Amino acid sequence: MAQQVVRSELAANVWKVEVAVGDKVEVDDTLMIFESMKMEIPVAAPCAGVVAAIDVEEGQSVAEGQIVAILER
Amino acid sequence: MSWQPEIDEIERRRAIARQMGEPERVARHHADGKLTIRERIDGLIDPDSFHEIGSISGSVEYDEAGERVRYTPSQFIFGRARIDGRPVVVGGNDFTIGPRGQDPGGSEKSAYLERMAGQLGLPLVRLIDGVGGNVRTIERLGRTYIPNNPGFNTLLENLNRAPVVALGLGIVAGYNVVKLATSHYSMMVRERSFMFMAGPPVVARLGQTVTKEELGGADLQARAGNVDDVVDSEEEAFERTRRFLSYLPASVDELPPRAACDDPVTRREDWLISAIPRDRRKVYDARKVAKAHFDKDSFFEIGRQFGGSLITAFARLDGWPVAVMVSNPHIYGGGWTADTSEKAMRFVDLANLFHLPLVNLVDVPGFVIGVEAEKAGTIRAGCRAMAAVSQAQGPACTIILRKCFGVAGGAHADHAKLQYRYAWPSGDWGSMPMEGGIEAAYRADIAAAADPAARLKEIEDNLNQLRSPLRTAEHFMIEEIIDPRATREVLCEFANFAAKLRKTGPMSVGIRP
Repeated sequence: MAQQVVRSELAANVWKVEVAVGDKVEVDDTLMIFESMKMEIPVAAPCAGVVAAIDVEEGQSVAEGQIVAILER
Repeated sequence: MSWQPEIDEIERRRAIARQMGEPERVARHHADGKLTIRERIDGLIDPDSFHEIGSISGSVEYDEAGERVRYTPSQFIFGRARIDGRPVVVGGNDFTIGPRGQDPGGSEKSAYLERMAGQLGLPLVRLIDGVGGNVRTIERLGRTYIPNNPGFNTLLENLNRAPVVALGLGIVAGYNVVKLATSHYSMMVRERSFMFMAGPPVVARLGQTVTKEELGGADLQARAGNVDDVVDSEEEAFERTRRFLSYLPASVDELPPRAACDDPVTRREDWLISAIPRDRRKVYDARKVAKAHFDKDSFFEIGRQFGGSLITAFARLDGWPVAVMVSNPHIYGGGWTADTSEKAMRFVDLANLFHLPLVNLVDVPGFVIGVEAEKAGTIRAGCRAMAAVSQAQGPACTIILRKCFGVAGGAHADHAKLQYRYAWPSGDWGSMPMEGGIEAAYRADIAAAADPAARLKEIEDNLNQLRSPLRTAEHFMIEEIIDPRATREVLCEFANFAAKLRKTGPMSVGIRP
């Protein structure tokens, strides 16, 4: 099982987390939704797999490049 | 008595030179997953088009009778060649040959390559795989020296004269980082190439214990904007080099070549009418929306990992090459950061230099704001980007897809020039977006109302009617609102007008603020 780290491409606030640890996801499934510049910015799964970790909580801010989730392929 | 013996000796030396370094070094180079310099040149250019220059230079030992006893070929290989039938110059160092100190002509050959590109006005491809000097040089020279950045003036002249592509194909350190970064387009190979000013043993002295990948891996350097793109193989780098050059003239003294186009100018994509969500908070796939308007498979993105709220690409319209900027709402809603501004400045300059008309697909909510944005130098970078847009001499066409707010929104064109501009019916513009600003602007009004929530809703509904782009068009403040499905047609019309307006010659711009 290879781990795939999901990083934030931007500085933003975490608005909603759409998946939980253990969920199966397909590529491009929405893992969470950020809010930035008054827009809803979905964070898509870079690959299919199982959610191994969610490293953020709703309402918190994230920095560019920060790890927000880990998938297991 | 003919000169055949000399010709035979030259051929023998060329045969040895083609073997490159010792077989073990070549084998180790291959085992590292890397191609040799001659395989690289062959992989890049048209078959059998390499015209090598300095083919027998190298280090030769003679015996007392003047007979050659040992010949070590030069560690720098270069010459003229063709890519898609068009002349180019190409060169790079041979990592399988020992240090440059044993190669009497090596430095002069790499300098000659640069001068040849500039003086013949030909595209240049640098194949870089080598480290710079180390302190042992001092022992060899028996002295030290004041750094003079050899040939930097020529690198800079070339940058204003002909397309320069630089590929980092191994370790790129020392002065080679300058040769990689001082280019119009640079790439590194993932997990195979590394770029740093000083390598891991040197930075270890600072207390930073890092691997080559952690210090200067390909993705790190692309995200930092030190190189433009990352590829997975050398072959992919060669393919992208050929593609990059296909959009450009051989030099600033020529115009970009038109390609054959069998994609109808009148092609309409029906889904474009609903491509932009009516909900202003929702994003869309900007690459998909952008590609729909250009000639099939002609969209060539550059610099994907840096300044991601702006997508920059070369593409074609009715066969004419153009430079394209597209806002990407997935990153900061399309808002401009300092990195985005720097990316825009470099790209607009590149388009201007090589006479590519500019197409700008705009969805910009403004500059990204906040403490971090101020600390990042967004204002200075943004002004430099605006200066590049204003100083660009070539024709430009703007399509406002959705948002166009504030100073960054205003940077979509030089407003002293004729606005060759359209908007989609999703157009939404102004000095600042309304969301969140209503409560502040109408605080007293809302507080005094019997039902504040109802009053807020009433104000919102009224303002939302006023923000319709049709009202702007009534006052001729947007030239024309078009059906998104007609975008290809109006852009192709623009490209055909623009083709006649392109002018050759060097770029004359002032300094950036």
